[in-house]
Amino acid sequence: MNYVLHIAILITLYIILGQSLNLLVGFTGLLSLAHAAFFGLGAYVSTLLMIRADWPFLAATGGGCLVAMTLSLVVAVPSLRLRGDFFVLATLGFQMIIFSVFNNWTEVTRGPYGIAGIPKPKVFGLTAHTLPQFVILACLIVILVLVVHWRLTSTPYGRTLKAIRDQETAARALGKNVLWFKTSVFMIAGGVAAIAGALYAGYVTYIDPTSFTLDESIFILTIVIVGGAGNLRGPVIGAFVLVLLPEALRFLHVPDTVAPNLRQIIYGILLITMMRFRPSGLAGQYAFD
Amino acid sequence: MELELENIGKQFGGLSALKDVSIAFEKGRITALIGPNGAGKTTLFDIVSGFLRPDTGRVIYKDEDITAVTAHRLARKGIGRLFQDVRIFSNMSVLENVTVAQRHQPGENPLWALLRPRRVNRLERANQAAARELLQLVGIDDKEHLWGEQLSFGQQKLLAIARLLANESSVLLLDEPTAGVNPHMVDVLLKTIRMLANDGKTVVIIEHNLSVILKLCDWVFLLDDGEVTAFGTAKEVLEDRALQEAYLGV
Repeated sequence: MNYVLHIAILITLYIILGQSLNLLVGFTGLLSLAHAAFFGLGAYVSTLLMIRADWPFLAATGGGCLVAMTLSLVVAVPSLRLRGDFFVLATLGFQMIIFSVFNNWTEVTRGPYGIAGIPKPKVFGLTAHTLPQFVILACLIVILVLVVHWRLTSTPYGRTLKAIRDQETAARALGKNVLWFKTSVFMIAGGVAAIAGALYAGYVTYIDPTSFTLDESIFILTIVIVGGAGNLRGPVIGAFVLVLLPEALRFLHVPDTVAPNLRQIIYGILLITMMRFRPSGLAGQYAFD
Repeated sequence: MELELENIGKQFGGLSALKDVSIAFEKGRITALIGPNGAGKTTLFDIVSGFLRPDTGRVIYKDEDITAVTAHRLARKGIGRLFQDVRIFSNMSVLENVTVAQRHQPGENPLWALLRPRRVNRLERANQAAARELLQLVGIDDKEHLWGEQLSFGQQKLLAIARLLANESSVLLLDEPTAGVNPHMVDVLLKTIRMLANDGKTVVIIEHNLSVILKLCDWVFLLDDGEVTAFGTAKEVLEDRALQEAYLGV
């Protein structure tokens, strides 16, 4: 039972991460490789606020969110002026920088040792001590995130993002301030990823830099591409498929020494197959090209 | 004059795309820019709509110097453009293509979208109703649920015109509106464009089709190699045999 609940929590985390990246990839056509950096920022900042400054969970989450949004703004302003591939490279650079900071700023992050003893989330006087309690908390947050994303994407805001994705020049010729829209959506996506980070830190109670690498960014991107970009269903389906698929290996009695490599191979094959035969993903509306 | 270009010059590398071009466009009139490929017609549109900045000269719109104003601000001032390759939003519905262009959309601010849902929804319904009327005006209201890319090329041009109207453009820069469109659709397009000019819009079109120019345009500027070499009514310019041979190859 605990195993099932653990999987459920992983799925909720990746729904939040996939959904927020989908705002960039699926709705705005911006490919970002820095999502794990924002995920990590949420985890580290909220953890430090809780441990060092005794902030309650929700306030610390908000703090992580704000820091991630501020840094997204700092990244967005120079890099969103770049076109296509160069924007991707700029996000890659940011991912590398943030990972280095987690790994090397030892006075604050304790570097590769990581931070242990993160308190369990306490919300409105209720602490999520047990797994089922944590699942409930995670589900509430996912529902909130989904509602926010549904509103953002079904209103004129989301429609203008799609217009920019489809035809940036035409959107400009219709009076849309493209840089403003891209910057704002980049900030929102970073902020939401940070919420997943705070939730993750509260769940595992121990964080270190290896959870927030480029590999993780690519994994989140795989969720969006395999599940499908450009609508709300895609990343939810992607999160289920990509979390559950490697778990199936356990039941095939693959030895532990082989399993992690095999998992990477499966992700790779899945990504290539989808790009080749079904570029809009399992349930997506938009094929990223 | 509604829109005036004064001594516009533009160089690309060593090549002069436009040399000292001065043209004025009048409200309610359809003006054509004609000339061979590479004469600088599309470059002129790029400059007027703010996608390129001229090296020399000024663009004056409603007595205001707009030479250095960026593209999206010019669009808000009422300068609309139909691109040669149309550029409709292909992964959005026909209705969305028009609604997205509407001016009054506080729901484009994410905070409004989240915190004022009822107000945003109400405006959205009004905007959709207005968009449907525009689709009706250009005669593709039965296609509102199709995706942009499912329309024929001619229908896409009509959609792009509806989009300009939703954007409340008062100057319409139409780059080859009839090219690649079937003859029946051309008539629909021409009727629509004439109606817009009668409505008081300033229409500028780049066109190669001589019968379209004769039928539609009130005034013609002939551009060659970055310079205005002739102007007048369509009949005057096109009936000059020497010009026809030199520039239009007919």
